[in-house]
Amino acid sequence: MVQVGELKEGDTILKLEDVHMSFGKVAALAGISLEVKKGEIHSIIGPNGAGKTVMMNCINGLYKPQRGSIYYKGQRINSLRPYRRAELGISRTFQKLELFGGMSVLDNIRLGRHIHLKSGIVSGSIYVGKTRHEELESRKFIEEEIIDLLEIESIRDQTAHMLPYGLQKRVELGRALALNPELLLLDEPLAGLNLEEVEDMARFILDINEEKRWKVTCILVEHDMGVVMDISHRVNVLNFGNQIMDGPPEEVQANPEVVKAYLGEEDLYSTRR
Amino acid sequence: MSSVWLPCGDYHQNYVEDQGWWQSKFIKGKMILLLAIVFIGIPSLAVSPEGEYWVSVATMVGYTAMGALGVQLLIGFAGLLTLGHAAFIAVGAYTSTMLVLQFPWPQFIVDWGLAYPISIVAAGVAAGLWSVLFGLPSARVKGFYLILTTMGAQFITVDFVLTQYVSQIGGRGQAFSLPPGTIKIGPWVIESDVQIYYVMAVLLTLMVIVLANLIRSKPGRAWVAIRDNDIAAEALGINIVWYKLLSFFVAGFMAGVAGSFWVCNTAALSPEHFPWFLSLWLVGVILIGGVGSIQGAIFGSIFMVVIMELLQMAAIPIADYYPQVLFSFAYIKDMAFGLAICAFLIYEPNGLAYRWWQAKNYFNLWPFSY
Repeated sequence: MVQVGELKEGDTILKLEDVHMSFGKVAALAGISLEVKKGEIHSIIGPNGAGKTVMMNCINGLYKPQRGSIYYKGQRINSLRPYRRAELGISRTFQKLELFGGMSVLDNIRLGRHIHLKSGIVSGSIYVGKTRHEELESRKFIEEEIIDLLEIESIRDQTAHMLPYGLQKRVELGRALALNPELLLLDEPLAGLNLEEVEDMARFILDINEEKRWKVTCILVEHDMGVVMDISHRVNVLNFGNQIMDGPPEEVQANPEVVKAYLGEEDLYSTRR
Repeated sequence: MSSVWLPCGDYHQNYVEDQGWWQSKFIKGKMILLLAIVFIGIPSLAVSPEGEYWVSVATMVGYTAMGALGVQLLIGFAGLLTLGHAAFIAVGAYTSTMLVLQFPWPQFIVDWGLAYPISIVAAGVAAGLWSVLFGLPSARVKGFYLILTTMGAQFITVDFVLTQYVSQIGGRGQAFSLPPGTIKIGPWVIESDVQIYYVMAVLLTLMVIVLANLIRSKPGRAWVAIRDNDIAAEALGINIVWYKLLSFFVAGFMAGVAGSFWVCNTAALSPEHFPWFLSLWLVGVILIGGVGSIQGAIFGSIFMVVIMELLQMAAIPIADYYPQVLFSFAYIKDMAFGLAICAFLIYEPNGLAYRWWQAKNYFNLWPFSY
């Protein structure tokens, strides 16, 4: 077990080894192994019930796999609670929105800074001094790096649950980014968005993956094949808990088994183009 | 745009202003006026006996609000339903009393009047730790089940530990009484209604400041996040169990301080001061005031205590015709409490704080509707 401090582009950041997870008799993951390289957008596709979200939850720590190992930067993280994994740099968004509904957009994103703040109950209750300084620093980061990037200046003081769905998705991405993660799990970030919002979101994902400031490795679970094939560096195809195929998007599209299991007989791009 | 309403053409230029406490001159003026009323206006009522009575009513409002702030923190901010808050107030009251009466203080501490102030902090810490002990189940259970475990705190603490054992210390049977002059803060002996009122006003102001500061910094945001969505909160790096226990500690600390204030108010102490009904009462207070807002706890306390006083005043003339009213006044009080909660849950579930917010907005925008 080696703790690697700084990974170079192309090093393995996350590795799953023979991960099994079943609920009763349903095997949601039946021995999945995969490697995610730093700096990639790694997509996971598959029909409904293929185990994509279960895999995300295993990586994130919400589920504990019954067998197999998950390595993050060479460290086995199977036994770590989700909040410890977040401290290591794994952040995520959710398929069904899991925003803090009663808080303002700004507070939602501020909460994402949680692991970077240090005040406890004593300094927090005095506020003046350490906490005030820290809050201002974090505000500066949020405004200049996240709100500016995601173009949500106009809604920062609105209550999260009052926003339209597309904006809520964007706020959730902002909240996940506020952790300043190295690995970002995006669970269907495009589901339920209209074409314009999909294009915006794809642009944001590319930005945070490619911009020098962020360079976040992304794991993307998505059904929108057009976007997946366009932006991913690597695609994994799951079906009923088994991995069918792993490779660059072009190979995946050409694989007859994948087309049969998931993409259907029709032309791949017909859904979106 | 800012989170508070600003006059047209008035903008925040930097983050310091935007995250400030009093964000406009108007708000600053209002708050200073409020402090002036609390610290100068109300005590100056005490020139007449009638006025002194209302000062003591204000003291009761403050005591209720101190308790309610802790409940507000647990229920309103951290989303942990509690029905045992009176137990922690009791722990604070007893810790404070035992320390003042039984602890072998060095003479200079007694002379300088530090024993009671020290006991207030000690009461807070003791009640906070006791509260954490009964907060432990919150790591496993939530919602309705947590109500039952916190009720367990009430019965174990007050009905068993305090009544059966702690109250028996000193062979006095049930009640402790504090001889006049024992409660001393610095050079002042706390005796008159106005002095008690000042103790309350200082403690309550500090508590409001502390809670407001916590809510806008890291721990407070973590509590609200746990309330709104605990799964997402954990995925974003919040140690849920730790922060739940922390909220129990802070709420218990506040209850302990409220309890040790109660000692100086009554100068006598008995487990009967902290019935389970007090826990329920405090929850009712925040329901009426508004769950999830600091003002709510204060508004609720004002409403409940003042309504009860008015009822009592109304009962006296009525008793001339129906003497039964005076005998059964305790039941009428309970009934009024129940009625008020029903009415609020149906007609104004967001509580008085929401109404206050609406009224403020109306006047901010007046004469236009938006």
